[in-house]
Amino acid sequence: MGEKSWGMVIDVDKCTGCQACVVACQSENNIPINEEEHFNQRRAIEWIRVERYWEGEFPDVKARFIPILCQHCGEAPCEPVCPVFATYHNDQGLNVQVYNRCVGTRFCANNCPYHVRFFNFWEPEWPETLTNQLNPDVTVRSRGIMEKCTFCVQRIRRTERESERDGVDLDDGDRALSPACVNACPTSALVFGDFADPESKVSRLKEQEEKEDGRAYRLLENYGTEPSVVYLKKVEEGAKSASHG
Amino acid sequence: MPLTRRQFLTLTGGSAAAAVIFQACGVPEDELKVQAPIGMPEDIVTGLQNWYATTCRWCPTGEGIVVKVMEGRAKKVEGNVDHPINRGTHSARCEAGLQALYHPDRIRGPLVRSGERGSGRFEEISWTDAIGRLTLQLRRLSDSGDQSALAMVTEPLAGHTGMVAERFLARYGGRRVSYEPLERTVLRSVVKRVFDQDVMPDLDVERAAYVLSFGADWLNTWISPVRYSRGYGEFRQGDRKRGTFVHADSRFSMTAANADRWLHVEPGSEGVLALSIAQVIVSEGLGNSAAADELTDGGYIDLDAFAPERVASKISTAVPSDRMADDIRQVARGFAEHRPSLAFGGGSAAAHTNGLFNMAAIYSLNYLVDSVDRPGGIVFNPRPPLQDVPASQTTTPFSTWQSLISEMNRERVKVMMVRGADPFYGLPDSAGFRAASFKVPYIFSFSGTMDDTTAMSDLVLPELDPLETWDTDIPDPGPGYQMVSFQQPVVRPFFEERGRHLGARGFGDVLMTIAQDLNVDLGLPGETFREVLQDGARRLFNLRRGSVSAPDFRSFWNGVLQRGGWWDVGAVSTDSVPSRAPSLPTPTDPVFDGDPDSHPMHLIPFASASLTDGRGAALPWLQATPDPTSTATWRTWVEINASVADDMGIREGDVVRITSAHGSMEALAFPNPATPFKVVAVPVGQGHRAGGRYARNRGSNVLSILGPGSDSETGALAWAATRVKIEKTGDWMRLPKFENAVSEEPRDEHHEIIKITPVDSGGVH
Repeated sequence: MGEKSWGMVIDVDKCTGCQACVVACQSENNIPINEEEHFNQRRAIEWIRVERYWEGEFPDVKARFIPILCQHCGEAPCEPVCPVFATYHNDQGLNVQVYNRCVGTRFCANNCPYHVRFFNFWEPEWPETLTNQLNPDVTVRSRGIMEKCTFCVQRIRRTERESERDGVDLDDGDRALSPACVNACPTSALVFGDFADPESKVSRLKEQEEKEDGRAYRLLENYGTEPSVVYLKKVEEGAKSASHG
Repeated sequence: MPLTRRQFLTLTGGSAAAAVIFQACGVPEDELKVQAPIGMPEDIVTGLQNWYATTCRWCPTGEGIVVKVMEGRAKKVEGNVDHPINRGTHSARCEAGLQALYHPDRIRGPLVRSGERGSGRFEEISWTDAIGRLTLQLRRLSDSGDQSALAMVTEPLAGHTGMVAERFLARYGGRRVSYEPLERTVLRSVVKRVFDQDVMPDLDVERAAYVLSFGADWLNTWISPVRYSRGYGEFRQGDRKRGTFVHADSRFSMTAANADRWLHVEPGSEGVLALSIAQVIVSEGLGNSAAADELTDGGYIDLDAFAPERVASKISTAVPSDRMADDIRQVARGFAEHRPSLAFGGGSAAAHTNGLFNMAAIYSLNYLVDSVDRPGGIVFNPRPPLQDVPASQTTTPFSTWQSLISEMNRERVKVMMVRGADPFYGLPDSAGFRAASFKVPYIFSFSGTMDDTTAMSDLVLPELDPLETWDTDIPDPGPGYQMVSFQQPVVRPFFEERGRHLGARGFGDVLMTIAQDLNVDLGLPGETFREVLQDGARRLFNLRRGSVSAPDFRSFWNGVLQRGGWWDVGAVSTDSVPSRAPSLPTPTDPVFDGDPDSHPMHLIPFASASLTDGRGAALPWLQATPDPTSTATWRTWVEINASVADDMGIREGDVVRITSAHGSMEALAFPNPATPFKVVAVPVGQGHRAGGRYARNRGSNVLSILGPGSDSETGALAWAATRVKIEKTGDWMRLPKFENAVSEEPRDEHHEIIKITPVDSGGVH
């Protein structure tokens, strides 16, 4: 297996804000049911979320949508502050959370500028029959543990194993390997792949859009976090320069 | 065998013994080692997964899904990449179907009412008993020659379930009324009237260069949102130049938010806007002149009365007239010049007393830009490949419901069978269905969940979940060519262990059993519903064309099930474009329910993104899915313009009473900057009296307070034509929403991370 650097390209011009990614993620990753009180306490867990921004007022009003998930930063601010190395960078560009090590200091969440880390304030509970749906490939996180987007590492691992077993190469854009949100996205606004492979779709999109007049940008890139998620700007009809998000 | 910890340690003490145990469990030994704390649990993957293709029943249009099954349990839903409707993508609603399968409040066996009707007290009985009770009532009707006193209330049925239900009613007697709270009656009528088509055409958003839509929330909930969204992705950033999208709507929907331009229109004036656009195109000679001639009856219809300057103030009272007129001209020119262009409408644009006029005017625009039966425009769909297996039939207009209710009141309906419909929830209170239902001696419900209608029934015959049972669906609208989407059981019935006398059964099978008990010959090609379905597949096989080619039927059948259906990209519509464009409709003004002085606000209900017309309310994932524009969850909110709310002293979370001439409801205020001044918008979906732990007594039901007005020509409910007044109740409740869950980063205009100034560095000690 060669070097990997997993990452994502998100075309904000395609995102309609439909929330298919959000529910796909919850289903794949055994995210506890976000009950009403959780929203009221601002403790709902959404590894990927769609933010909505208003621009202007009626009748000159616009709303913008942008999906936000863990940026799997190259220089992740969450990593150095963990006293127990529960969060670290793996050799495939993933920012990984080891639940077994986590002691719940929440330093990482505090240090993450993207607010994509979530703390389990409660022991997750499902009515008994609903547990039948839980994904056996993903740990249910107990109370007191941090969690966040993993780029569906369990799907990457499974596909890697299976391709190793069958002696075939991993395909760029293999749906078995792509995170749940990417597969769900009705407009294909999310694209997942390997930035280490110059021929991959994400690499080509990035290269093409990072040229002058391209639409590529990264969230809060001035912080020097080097996110693995590249955003493509919304195109503003009639406007010379496109606005972010 | 239960194993204590001590026994386990003893056994695993010796590696030989351990190997034996592990072998017995069928799990490789190395997978059961004590896990090191440095390992990522997700690195360890066990078990095999199987993916089965089937059809989603949670969206308006049959989308193809694949379901991951591990150890006999459904785990994950994804889109079926082969399926022509959604090509691999899917919506939040498809995903949440899993929670319906394993819902804690699913009905586990047939129930008979044991208390007053509506008391919610039921006792479990066996299937033999339940079917016996139902056939007894049906036999009584047929013995007295009174079969027409049977009413079968269903969702719009397609595919083989539709076929069996039709056959049952044809051979036994009785009538079917289909239930669709936000009905499509007007849409179907307009497709017939403007394009002379019996089936819904496909809207080719993907290949269009300019999309002009009216009222329909087509990226979110309308008709076939996943298919349209997929097209929209290509329309925006595909191989061609980025398309332009203009949306005209009386409310700022999620679809409006995605448009390049949102044109505000007063409720009910969408048709006038469309005529005004037509006027610009015709007067400036931008469109097909022959079509213009036909549409105006050779100039007989005077379009100049609709010149933008003359109607701008009617179209929007909020936007200055000269600006509105400019906007209309710009849009008309853009629409005419950037071809292929596509105009369509629905949703609230159709839900007025002048709904048919609005829609006819909108769809007629396609003739002016040569977009009828063209790529990037309106693409006609062919008729379904099997004659007796229908796409979902014409929906029942509200006027038919009204006559049903009056017959119920006259005790002319003796038995009601309800399947996949919830009229106790979805019909306006003003229709009087609830009161009339007490005059119906027997209500039988086939629902697997205790929805509002099932709670009011006398006997419950729980239906299998769609993931446990067979069916087909003919997507309507289809993808532009013939297709049949197949639904197969991906897991064994969850209540199977309860034995054959309890648990759930498929609706088709139950109908067939009932017919047999009544000695009614349905003339179906099989003893079970699966056999009937298989016969349908055999007829497809005999066509010798389409997506699955196989040497024999068995391989064909397997192929169809593997791919999730059968389609033939070559089998397109053979209907030609009508030789003449029909003349433009005569404009009619909308009539609103409620006096404008006492009820100054205009109520626009809308289908919730996740709960749609209320059927998703039982599922916690869908309850917790933030609405795209408000980000609200779990409750009913009312969207009010922020400055209007300010003037009224209304803050977010204030409990607001919304009163129409027919009733009132309460909702949490959500002031936002996008709602038009005189409009309040309320999502449909909450306010169930029953529906299980996640739906019951949560929020309120906006459908209940609607006035009974209807479109004058089709009889469809004008659900966007009710006026209301709003007032604060004085109560406040936090609106559970996602917005602000994440605090905003401090803004740093100069991209400096830490600003060091002399004062900072000098320090203040």
